Amino acid sequence: MSFDNVYEALSGDGDARWAFGTGFADPLAGVDTTVPPDVDPADLAAYCLMLGDDALVMSHRLQEWCTNAPDLEEEVALANIGLDLLGQTRMLYARAGHADGTGRGEDAYAYFREPEEFANVRLAETPRGDFGDLIAKLLVFATWRLALLQRLIPSRDPVLAAIAAKGVKEVAYHRDHAAQWAVRLGDGTDESHRRMQAGLDRLWPLVGELFTPHEVEERLARAGVAADPAGLRAEFDAVLDQVLTAATLRRPEAPLEPGGRRGTHTEALAPLLAELQSVARALPEATW
Amino acid sequence: MTVVAEESLERHFEHTIERDQRIEPRDWMPDAYRATMIRQIAQHAHSEIIGMQPEGDWITRAPSLRRKAILLAKVQDEAGHGLYLYSAAETLGVDRADLTTRLIERRQKYSSIFNYPTLTYADVGVIGWLVDGAAICNQVPLCRSSYGPYARAMIRICKEESFHQRQGYELLMTMMRGTGAQRAMVQDAVDRWWWPSLMMFGPPDADSPNTAQSMAWKIKRHTNDELRQRFVDMTVPQAEALGVTLPDPDLRWNAERGHHDFGPIDWDEFKRVLRGDGPCNAERVARRRRAHEEGAWVREAAAAHAAKRRDR
Amino acid sequence: MVTTVTDARAVAETVTDPELPMLTLADLGVLRDVTEEDGRVVVTITPTYSGCPAMDAMRADLIRALRAAGHEQVEVRTVLHPPWSTDWISAAGRRRLAEAGIAPPGAAPRRAEGPIPLALGPTVLTVRCPRCGSADTEETSAFGATACRALRRCRACLEPFEHVKEI
Repeated sequence: MSFDNVYEALSGDGDARWAFGTGFADPLAGVDTTVPPDVDPADLAAYCLMLGDDALVMSHRLQEWCTNAPDLEEEVALANIGLDLLGQTRMLYARAGHADGTGRGEDAYAYFREPEEFANVRLAETPRGDFGDLIAKLLVFATWRLALLQRLIPSRDPVLAAIAAKGVKEVAYHRDHAAQWAVRLGDGTDESHRRMQAGLDRLWPLVGELFTPHEVEERLARAGVAADPAGLRAEFDAVLDQVLTAATLRRPEAPLEPGGRRGTHTEALAPLLAELQSVARALPEATW
Repeated sequence: MTVVAEESLERHFEHTIERDQRIEPRDWMPDAYRATMIRQIAQHAHSEIIGMQPEGDWITRAPSLRRKAILLAKVQDEAGHGLYLYSAAETLGVDRADLTTRLIERRQKYSSIFNYPTLTYADVGVIGWLVDGAAICNQVPLCRSSYGPYARAMIRICKEESFHQRQGYELLMTMMRGTGAQRAMVQDAVDRWWWPSLMMFGPPDADSPNTAQSMAWKIKRHTNDELRQRFVDMTVPQAEALGVTLPDPDLRWNAERGHHDFGPIDWDEFKRVLRGDGPCNAERVARRRRAHEEGAWVREAAAAHAAKRRDR
Repeated sequence: MVTTVTDARAVAETVTDPELPMLTLADLGVLRDVTEEDGRVVVTITPTYSGCPAMDAMRADLIRALRAAGHEQVEVRTVLHPPWSTDWISAAGRRRLAEAGIAPPGAAPRRAEGPIPLALGPTVLTVRCPRCGSADTEETSAFGATACRALRRCRACLEPFEHVKEI
């Protein structure tokens, strides 16, 4: 593009250049979405929603940091991580819609389900808190999700496998970013050490849920489609220990609450979804 | 430095400008040129950062996941542009922390356009189309700014902004094909943003004190009124294609001039907002200040940790 | 039909990235394949990142360019596997990035089997300044304006510049 002629470049091309958009809403457009014959499509859809809900809710909490981050580098980084997770959500929801036979699009899942229909782990929905809470949550979430996605690369569902392989590259960056901050905060000043430890302590009771399998996960793990969450624990513990040691932080001792993606949430989810869904529900007939 | 040496440096500087070559960070430059460049780049960086707020508030409420991804990516780009521009300003010997202090103490300005509120999701599209469009018209000539790092930053930023503008226009096009309520939202947003967008080009030439020196130094390449006229001429056919009415009864094609005539701009409003009495001035700066202050313990921790690492 | 595919490929290879218009989708490694099926041109692309908001614009631009060249029936397919890597950016693409002042990526990390090792320290990389060529550069932000770029500064000529991160 010649920059002396940018006005022409912007306007001379007519509207054709700008009138894209409609009809391209499916993030898996053109991907072969046939479900392998011996995989239960309802289970596969439910599983994709679990992983998609985790990513959407976590992404929302990161979006809340926009314009509120401690410095500009972090402003960019948090938006970046939120965008990666949003991208993963969109592909997982699209996969769910193809698998469950309803043909629902990604927005039907995000905007027109009720809180009790969301199957995310409760850790993702905890309120924004301070930067110590954020880093504690991101460290735990990314460490767990990376271990999970990596085990989905050989999944017998090729679409899920491909989404996971892409996600692994992204979430590895997220985990490193959170771990580096945990070390800076833990081994920074007295105040930052105190806040980082407090963030971990507050979050810890919800960590148990990450490793409690739901029966859909158990069935799909046996079928070679999903990963059994119980099997992620050893890697999670090893990584956390490495970070906590470098950060001079201690592993919290609070008892872990059982859970298991059964639609039971903390009181933080309903307001989160009310905000997320507000514009879409105010104009249900609208196209965006 | 002797007077003779300084004169020779100054001649070399002027010669560089005359030949349309660029001034680079390690080159000699007059103090007034340096101060002007710092002010210009810092104000641009502040505008990117404050400009995240009016749109950023809609990310969590975006009405589809696709729109959410587009908006999140756009606001991220703005933060990245801000970061890049602060780095360009730092090549002139200031530091970002100091520039941020000047912003939150309201000693340096940012583009007044961001002191207007965003009331509906249509505002996101209109900001992309009109505000980013006006910004591009202003910034394209800056790709030939005499200060090298700034000119090079502008080339990249313009390319990315032009993608934002395209996405904003596409949102509006989609909304105009939607329900009656959506079309009304778009028209309402256009009504509110049109005049402030025209003010983005700054006061009329007759009333623009810095223009002459900036043109001589090739920091600026066109006058405010020239750029404003280009923007109007470019936007009118786009508004027609979209099916919205620009809120100006005097707007019409003037065959004799080969340009569109348009009605008088309310410069009293411009001055009011510039002075700090716009609808959202206080709120925008207060939020930036709050984020900066709440982040102090985090930045201190990072510095303390880096120092510990160096000492080990 | 060979000529159809050859021609369609040539057209598809001219389509540029919406955010980095100095690069074509082919240079970036986003354009994976152009084939012909039952009289239709089938173009396959892959996203750089899961959240890439430019995929729709790329699809639209490809379809528009191919239609303008007389290929009426065009389908653009997304392929997710194998995941995109910066290693796929062509030599021409790397040159154009450098010309635009963006340092091209080095080789993407090779990942062995098993858990991905944690990177706790800052990564030490040699990235040359695209402006003066000095290797004396430092990272100022691990994340730049778009997902795939980090911000650096040259200590020699002071130029701030972006570097495409290896993935």
